[in-house]
Amino acid sequence: MANQGNKGFFTRLQNVDRRVLFVLIFASVIVPLFFPLKLPVPVTPETREFFEAVEAIPDSSIVMLPFDFWPSTLAETEPMAVVGLRHLFRKNCYVVGLSNVGMGGPSIADRLLDSIGGEFGKTYGIDYVNLGYKANYQAVMLGMGERIEDIFPTDHRGTPLSEIPLMRRVPNYDSVSFIFVVSDNVAVDYWVGLVNSRFGVPMGAGVTAVMAPKSLSFVQANQLVGLMGGMKGCAEYENLLGYPARATRGMDSQSIIHLLIVLFIVMGNVGYFAAKRKAKVEG
Amino acid sequence: MDTFWTQPFVYYFLPAFFTLAVYSFLFKDNPWFKLAEHIFAGLSAGYYAGLIFHSVIKQQMFVPMVSSGRYDLVIPGVLGFLLFMRFFPKGRWLTRIPLAFVIGTTAGIMFLQQLHGLVLPQIKSTLLPLNDFGNIVIVVGVLTTLVYFYFSKPHTGVLGGVAKVGIWFIMIAFGAHFGYTVMARVSLLIGRMQFIFVDWLRLVS
Repeated sequence: MANQGNKGFFTRLQNVDRRVLFVLIFASVIVPLFFPLKLPVPVTPETREFFEAVEAIPDSSIVMLPFDFWPSTLAETEPMAVVGLRHLFRKNCYVVGLSNVGMGGPSIADRLLDSIGGEFGKTYGIDYVNLGYKANYQAVMLGMGERIEDIFPTDHRGTPLSEIPLMRRVPNYDSVSFIFVVSDNVAVDYWVGLVNSRFGVPMGAGVTAVMAPKSLSFVQANQLVGLMGGMKGCAEYENLLGYPARATRGMDSQSIIHLLIVLFIVMGNVGYFAAKRKAKVEG
Repeated sequence: MDTFWTQPFVYYFLPAFFTLAVYSFLFKDNPWFKLAEHIFAGLSAGYYAGLIFHSVIKQQMFVPMVSSGRYDLVIPGVLGFLLFMRFFPKGRWLTRIPLAFVIGTTAGIMFLQQLHGLVLPQIKSTLLPLNDFGNIVIVVGVLTTLVYFYFSKPHTGVLGGVAKVGIWFIMIAFGAHFGYTVMARVSLLIGRMQFIFVDWLRLVS
């Protein structure tokens, strides 16, 4: 009977009701929101290199910031764009925003540029601009190397580029000191593969965690100056900049949920091996 | 109570409603989830159609033609139109003409991007001096993984042993990807909960 009881326990360990997991994960997200633990967020070398590269851009330089992300990944990418804009505006850089994602990209860019630009007293058209979206991003990226106005005759609001003071100074990539890519898709591969390799514009990228392992190879090959990988990377950047915000706030939940997942993986494996051993002993 | 009613309905209540409707699927499939799913599909299709018409057909074809006399843009316009000939059995062959352009230019751009942007820089960054543990791991990992994908000889003996090391590297890479994927998915949940409890309900400052 005791053996049967043990066997049942180990089998149950492998078959925990998924709703129990949902409740635990939900609780792990909610509780730190109300009672922040302020767990430390150690900075990885890739994020530090990214931060230092942006810090090294001369003040008042022209920087391009592609908002290449879908609304579905806002939780990860929006804080990256926000921290990037804060860093650039703090250095009085001029920001040229655009998006290679049609679905929501240009309006997200508009909202964030206006909101963070407003924090720093920046003016649309003089300090920053939103070029909007054009289909076929490979052609867009290559075409901007020749003449941006050919690709974007007007900005997102319909104003001809020739009437925008900032864009009169930015005919192509030659005037761009740095590209701060925020992406949740393969567009970052094309920024690296087409723009960095052909036009030599230095760039760093904030990417979703799913994309981080692949994008790290660009850092290792010096094609990207650094990388913000997922919410963790963004929290690191926020802390380096001295603006702890949404990503930093989410890291308590991240840490607890990861511990929980590790615990369940260990439990599942213990259950599996123990049940297997019992079955073997009992013949 | 004021907090609820002074917020713009479309910015807070609607996104919150659809978030909850989608998460209700965790319990079981239900009409609220289906409603959210269908509205999302319909909205996406409509939004894209409008966006492409405005940003490509109108802004990059009609406007330059009318305002700057760029009548050469009729050529890509006609090519684009020919793609719709697939709906007419007799003229279906005409779609091959624009498709030839699309395939040709895409292949050219991809070749450029893959070779100069990925393959050559990545090979260059793998040619490392073996004076550092990290460099040794990279070189051994690349070589053994490449051996694993060499299928012209049975994976036995030394080749089999090296391929097995390659499998270990591949498995570790999969593990890293999985770990990052978990982090990404958890981030999305955190983002939604921050929206509900911080932005919408304002239960947390």
